[in-house]
Amino acid sequence: MADWEEIKRLAADFQKVQLSSTSQKLSERNCIEIINYLKEKKIIDLIFTVDGKEFLTPSHLIQDIKNELFVSGGRINLVELAKNIGVDLAHITAHLKDVLKGQKDLHSILGQLIDSSYITKIAGEINEKLAQQGQISISDLTIQYDLSAEFLQQQVVEKHLGKIIHGKQDTNDPRVIFTESFIARCKAKIRGALCGLTRPTPVASILNQISLSEKLFFSLFDQTSMHGALTSRVVGAQYIPNVYARSQNEWVNNFYKQNDYLEYDALARLGISDYKSFIKKQLSSEDLVFLNSCAASKRVLERAEADIDECISSKSYLDLQSNLPSVFNDKDIRLILDTVLTKQKQQQTIVIENFILSKAFIENLSKNFDELVKEKAKAVVESGKYQQYQTDIQISSSKPQKFEEVDEKVDKREERRKKAAGGKSGGGTQGRETKTKSTKKAKKHVEEEFETVERRQQLQVVLSEDIADLIQKELEEDGLDELSEPLTQYLLPQLNEKGLEIAGEIYAATIADRTANRRQTHNELQNKLNALIGDVRLFEKGLKLLPEELQGQLVKYLLKTLCTDITTEILNYVAAEQNLNTQTDNFTNEQRLKFVNELPPDLKKSLLPLIKSLSGQSIDEFMAAVEESLSVCSMIIKKIDKKKDRTIVLNHKHVLLEQLNKCDDLALVLHLTTLIIFTTATQCMLHASGRHVAAILSFLKQYLTDGQVAELTSYHDFVTLMLSGGSEAESAKEKLKEKIQTVKNIANEFKKPGAEKS
Amino acid sequence: MVDESTRKTLSSIPLLKTKAGPRDKELWVQRLKEEYQSLIKYVQNNKDADNDWFRLESNKEGTRWFGKCWFIHDLLKYEFDVEFDIPVMYPSTAPEIALPELDGKTAKMYRGGKICLSDHFKPLWARNVPKFGIAHAMALGLGPWLAVEIPDLIAKGVVTHKEKTG
Repeated sequence: MADWEEIKRLAADFQKVQLSSTSQKLSERNCIEIINYLKEKKIIDLIFTVDGKEFLTPSHLIQDIKNELFVSGGRINLVELAKNIGVDLAHITAHLKDVLKGQKDLHSILGQLIDSSYITKIAGEINEKLAQQGQISISDLTIQYDLSAEFLQQQVVEKHLGKIIHGKQDTNDPRVIFTESFIARCKAKIRGALCGLTRPTPVASILNQISLSEKLFFSLFDQTSMHGALTSRVVGAQYIPNVYARSQNEWVNNFYKQNDYLEYDALARLGISDYKSFIKKQLSSEDLVFLNSCAASKRVLERAEADIDECISSKSYLDLQSNLPSVFNDKDIRLILDTVLTKQKQQQTIVIENFILSKAFIENLSKNFDELVKEKAKAVVESGKYQQYQTDIQISSSKPQKFEEVDEKVDKREERRKKAAGGKSGGGTQGRETKTKSTKKAKKHVEEEFETVERRQQLQVVLSEDIADLIQKELEEDGLDELSEPLTQYLLPQLNEKGLEIAGEIYAATIADRTANRRQTHNELQNKLNALIGDVRLFEKGLKLLPEELQGQLVKYLLKTLCTDITTEILNYVAAEQNLNTQTDNFTNEQRLKFVNELPPDLKKSLLPLIKSLSGQSIDEFMAAVEESLSVCSMIIKKIDKKKDRTIVLNHKHVLLEQLNKCDDLALVLHLTTLIIFTTATQCMLHASGRHVAAILSFLKQYLTDGQVAELTSYHDFVTLMLSGGSEAESAKEKLKEKIQTVKNIANEFKKPGAEKS
Repeated sequence: MVDESTRKTLSSIPLLKTKAGPRDKELWVQRLKEEYQSLIKYVQNNKDADNDWFRLESNKEGTRWFGKCWFIHDLLKYEFDVEFDIPVMYPSTAPEIALPELDGKTAKMYRGGKICLSDHFKPLWARNVPKFGIAHAMALGLGPWLAVEIPDLIAKGVVTHKEKTG
């Protein structure tokens, strides 16, 4: 039963346990619900951890952050912080403000939290590094500490400069810190380098040598260098030592003092690029003229001026190139001339290249050409070129005149317009005047140009080569031969002008001469022709004595010789009258015909029969034609004078005899002998060629003795034998030589038979 | 099988040693003693975990048990009568717990309001004879059944909250 008691007791216990109040414990679920509820109602402020199982109060978070910062040695990344605390980064950043509040030694930079202990620590590090390197730039530190330059500068470096960090800030660049010793070292380096330099050196190469930064160099330069100057404050600058500058200046001064000029090139070689300002600065007291390649003192100009004056007064020339320093180039000389040559002097001189020639010198020179010019002018006139040129001018002169007219018209119009404009502007009279002046000048200038152009087209009386040759000789003596070309160019138009003038004079003179001359020649020719015609008439008379068949031959011969001569004379005269330059002396009949055909119709009409008669058979025909022709040429044939005929025949005979006595030609002796005998026998002249000798001899037999006949025939036979050129020619010649005297004697001793008989 | 919390609860309930049914006079007493001890422990555990969910008492012999059980859903407490007999073959046969109020209201129930236990319960029980007792049956059988069925029944409107305090 005891067991049942026990059961009862247990049942009671059980009831008691069941009835006992349940402990009022909140389950996790309930807690979460309650907290959520509280948060919803904003009664409490809690922060969830990342896993969501824990809450933090903000103040605890702030404490946590501070603890973490301390643990990590004063510097911690916010992201890392969030990870360490197990809270979302957003909460950290949200509460960062609270952390920083009231804590001046805490800094939040670039997502990092840094406190003063860390700053002190790195300040110490920086100091150590500075001591080692001598110089530290903030930018280097930024890389090393991964902090912003600004922060490092303000919070770390500047706060601790002089306390923890023993150094100095660069005054020019606060981002650089260095120690005194470092600066001293650098200064020493720079001083050393600069002292060693004697010539301008680019800063870059100096820096290379002493391995310093340019910034440092430039900031320290002023404190160190007393020995030179920098051209500028950039990397490309040059350091110019005082020594160098001094010697440069000395050189410049000395050179200038000695030579009175300074060459730009020389300055450039000395390393002075801006030479003009340099010269102005250096030689400010001097009176300088800046030329193209150099600067010269006024003295040089004065000297040149004096030289020119002397040149003018001495009527000689001046070579500026050799008188001035050799460095002066053409442009310089031109500039000098521009300043030195006054208007007055310009009139007295001529500048060719670098030579100044006085006008007097050139005049002297050109006197030598007077002869040449005269000669040439004469030649020009004689060759007819001048006449040609004159006619050319006459043809072309009509054109330029028109041109000028137009020019004038335009000018007038312009002037009118200008007047109108001047009127409008009112007080602008002066301006107008100058304007018109300038236009006048311009016009003049144009005309001059035009003239020169015309002159080019002018007849070249004197050729440049001729002048050049002469000048060359003249100038070589003075050593001025290089000037011959330009001088020639200068003189040529003048001389040409002169030449043209002379040519004009000569031409005028010749024209006057010719009119006088012509009258004379006309008379002469008339007499000559008359004599010839008389001869022809007499010859005709003579040949009429001969047998019929011989007459024909002799007429032909006469026409071919004497008559042709007459015709030629007439034609020559006609040609001269017509100003044709043809000599008809050696003309064939056809040429004569052609010539006559080209003559004016009236001359042609009367001359044509004359030419035709030459190839005819009759002397009468010819005589008629000659008469006609001469009348055209205004010449008169003199009447036949019988008394004169006789003297003419006698003269003819004497001439023939003289010829005979002088003559050695074997054949001609016979020919002359026959002619003399004929003339003596018939009292008539005969015009015959050697071919007719045999026939004439046979005609003369009636007048000669038998012995004479035999003598002459044998001589004649030998002559024919000799002329035939056979084997007996030599012996015939011998024979003839023997007989020549007898034949001559026959001719001399022959008397008219009638006279002998009577 | 059984969820984690159930397993945990189960492990904290003391196991029984005596294998005896109501017919075994002396031994039954022993068994009943163990039953009570295990129940006390279980209730105590529940109360500690703020998870008290039933009241039980038995007749004098300890063969019939009755009381109440409740389920809290949406902060509302649904309370049901619970009763069961110790079978003759106990502990080989598990007790059949019944909720007479819900008879006919759900398919997961035999006639007389006996709840349909999960397929796992019977083999589990069989394997643990005689170690499992009434406390185990409650924890392993009724507890899960309530947790599954009651929210469903409430949703269907079959079970409504009655304003009463207890």
